[in-house]
Amino acid sequence: MYSIEANQLTKQFGTFTAVDHICFEVREGEIFGFLGANGAGKTTAIKMMSGLLLPTSGTATIAGYDILTQSKLIKRNIGYMSQKFSLYGDLTVFENMQLFGTIYKIPRKELKERIMNSLRELEMDAQANTLVDSIPLGWKQKLAFATAILHRPKIVFLDEPTSGVDPIVRREFWKLIYQAASKGVTILVTTHYMDEAEYCNRISIMSEGQIKLIGTPEELKKQMGVDSINDVFVKFVKR
Amino acid sequence: MSAINIRGVNKTYDGKVVALKDIHLEVEEGEVFGLVGPDGAGKSTLFNILTTLLLPDAGDIRIFQMDVIQDYKAVRQIIGYLPGTFSLYPDLSVQENLDFFAVMYKSSIEENMNIIEPIWKQISPFKDRKAGKLSGGMKQKLALCCALIHRPRILFLDEPTTGVDPVSRKEFWDILKSIRQHGITVVVSTPYMDEATRCDRIALIQNGEIIGVNPPQTIIQNFKGHLYTFKSDDIFSLLQVMEQCPLRCNYYPYGEHCHVAFYEDMETAMPQFERFLEEHQQPHSKITAIQPSVEDCFIEIVKEPINN
Amino acid sequence: MNALSMILKKEFIHIIRDTITLSLVLAMPIALVLLFGFTISTDIRNAKISVLDQSKDTQSKYLIDRLSASGYFQVISYPNNEMEIDYDFKNKDIKLALIIPPNFEGSLSKEHSATLQVINDVSDLNVASILNNYVRAVVQRFTSDYNDEIKQGDGNFDITVKMLYNPESNSVYMFVPGIITLIMVLVTALLSSITLAREKETGTMRMLLITPVKKLYIIIGKVIPYMIISFISTIAILVISVTVFKMPINGSLLMLLFLCIIFMLTAASFGMLISSISRTQVDAMMITMMGLFLPTVLLSGFLFPLNSMPMVFQVLANIFPAKWFILAIKDVMIKGSGFFDIWFYLLILFIMAVVFIIFSISRLDKRN
Repeated sequence: MYSIEANQLTKQFGTFTAVDHICFEVREGEIFGFLGANGAGKTTAIKMMSGLLLPTSGTATIAGYDILTQSKLIKRNIGYMSQKFSLYGDLTVFENMQLFGTIYKIPRKELKERIMNSLRELEMDAQANTLVDSIPLGWKQKLAFATAILHRPKIVFLDEPTSGVDPIVRREFWKLIYQAASKGVTILVTTHYMDEAEYCNRISIMSEGQIKLIGTPEELKKQMGVDSINDVFVKFVKR
Repeated sequence: MSAINIRGVNKTYDGKVVALKDIHLEVEEGEVFGLVGPDGAGKSTLFNILTTLLLPDAGDIRIFQMDVIQDYKAVRQIIGYLPGTFSLYPDLSVQENLDFFAVMYKSSIEENMNIIEPIWKQISPFKDRKAGKLSGGMKQKLALCCALIHRPRILFLDEPTTGVDPVSRKEFWDILKSIRQHGITVVVSTPYMDEATRCDRIALIQNGEIIGVNPPQTIIQNFKGHLYTFKSDDIFSLLQVMEQCPLRCNYYPYGEHCHVAFYEDMETAMPQFERFLEEHQQPHSKITAIQPSVEDCFIEIVKEPINN
Repeated sequence: MNALSMILKKEFIHIIRDTITLSLVLAMPIALVLLFGFTISTDIRNAKISVLDQSKDTQSKYLIDRLSASGYFQVISYPNNEMEIDYDFKNKDIKLALIIPPNFEGSLSKEHSATLQVINDVSDLNVASILNNYVRAVVQRFTSDYNDEIKQGDGNFDITVKMLYNPESNSVYMFVPGIITLIMVLVTALLSSITLAREKETGTMRMLLITPVKKLYIIIGKVIPYMIISFISTIAILVISVTVFKMPINGSLLMLLFLCIIFMLTAASFGMLISSISRTQVDAMMITMMGLFLPTVLLSGFLFPLNSMPMVFQVLANIFPAKWFILAIKDVMIKGSGFFDIWFYLLILFIMAVVFIIFSISRLDKRN
């Protein structure tokens, strides 16, 4: 059973092809690294897959729903988090989670329970009534992730979730990703930290709108004859 | 001669949030100096103070002997600044932006072409395009041209590579190297630990405090623990098991590997550790000792080992 | 190229490339004038009035008859003194009172002139203006008929009837100076404050500040372009007012334009002041709306007469440039005043501009 199936997915803006006939599958519960240079088309592809943007041609099914006709159902079944926008700084931790939980129509009682549980897991129960603006970036990102999976989505899209976060918190963040994946949540993540690419079950490397490489980190390193994903990336782009 | 001399700088926002705590720092003329630390560590605040845009609460800062607080006008003549966010006019074309800043600095493009040429060559094909329509990397290069147009003696770069892919990052560091050949002192901040090795010296910064200043090699030499690496098929379950490890150590995933820094006598500790993994049924590759990276050093400085 | 002209060039590029804002700014004043102009010229019929007839002679009766016959007025009471007029205003809902002086007929025949006094209900300035116009028209016809009669008789001399108005309603065209003020405040203060705040928001201000360029140039570079745009709008308003609504400009046109330029300078400087205390474009917009636009509408004497307001507001009004500008522009457009009549207002506006600019410059590079 695949969570994500992209079939010849294409997006053109005028004469510019941002995403060029990409095909790939992601299994349920898999952590999939969606890598590529800046402007390679990753963000456009994620927008199409999360039902925010219609493709020019091709299609994709997300959690079994068609992006062309069932974008509402898709939105209900995915979570999304990006480095740029995640939470409202002038609301408290609890209020933020309550807001997003309510948007996804989690019943009131159930919602409160889930929020308290996830805060306990993050060891942030004490901060429930703290303004998000006043907590450190790394914690904010962990919190944003917890919020994105509060409605128990089948798939979570993470767009550079750890950009600028310190090495220790970055690792704690990945621990959360692993935890979610072990519960069957499919994760699609973009990152510019190549060591993080190694944590993924499989990765793809995009360039000029196309997926040029796809496989497990191990396979790709073997294929390119190098020791690390960083070298894979450098060697590949130079080619 | 020292290019920058910082003594006892403090900065607090709104009387509450402490951004910088008693910073002392000296940057030599002509070196590439790195300020390495996560977002929110105080890097941008320090940059704003050094570029005369913000006053510190206390402390003394000299840039080429000039007081940043009193002689800020003179300081502004000799510094170039590349802010962390794109800060050029998006509705002006590439050429118009460059012309504009050249006039603001009473300088001319021709005069300083030799400095900006390697960068300008890459963006000049787009010189009639509006700056807002450039790709991220191109924006960065244009901003760098604008910051260099008056041949500054010091160039400040605030996280120029954050959110930039590894290849463009490498390119950018190559450009910095060429700038340095013109005798320009470069102060650059970055959250990427792996970039630290491209600097002559780095200052590690965390929570508004400088936790170490040294050439990267020295920082690595000062690593106190015994660092080992090995692979595991299931890093996540390995990390859970490691919570019960009886040894004094720090452990964390590092790419596809697991790094463990021990603070023990290794002759007795290593057999003990191998036994521990075996008891908990953790298959793993050969455990080998390795040289730490700057990232390992940062973690060592910031994170207490377990069983300490 | 020197720094100031480069900054100006850059500002004009910003303005020209932002076509939506530019067309809005140029079209809005015209739309506003047309809107106000057509709403204000609504016809009023059978307005209730009182006449205090102090002469009670043939000519005064005749004048009252003509007022009633015009269809505009309905004379509902004949008070005996000014106290009773007051009573009528308060209790009988009259819109206007006319006072005919004693010995009206005698004055006309002997001195060939007489003075009528008109008292308005100033709660609605538009209605007051329109009714005054009607009275003026009726009185004019009355006078010319009277003159014709005399000419047929024994001589050829003209009589004049002067009318006294209460000071608040002395202009039929009150709305034009008001709109000019609003437009100038909107275009110059709002837009200039937003563009400076935008530079703060996007970080370009920091890039500018660390260059050695003079801070005065940065401010002037923002002020001048928006003064020019606003000047174009003002010209458009005047042309429409004169051609479509037949508004008279009694003073010198040059004087009027000079006055407008000074006010634009003050408004743009106020914009700079606002952006110097705001961090984002939204801040700048809110502060301009609340701190400048509303006071301009409410406290300038444009819609609501100042001297019927509580003392606090009358004093407060003095710190807003619009009050002084409205005083000056009314004098120029309606009374035909020249430079020596309004120099004091001009001076106040100019001093305000200088103070605002100095303050903005000091705030621009605050460094903490």
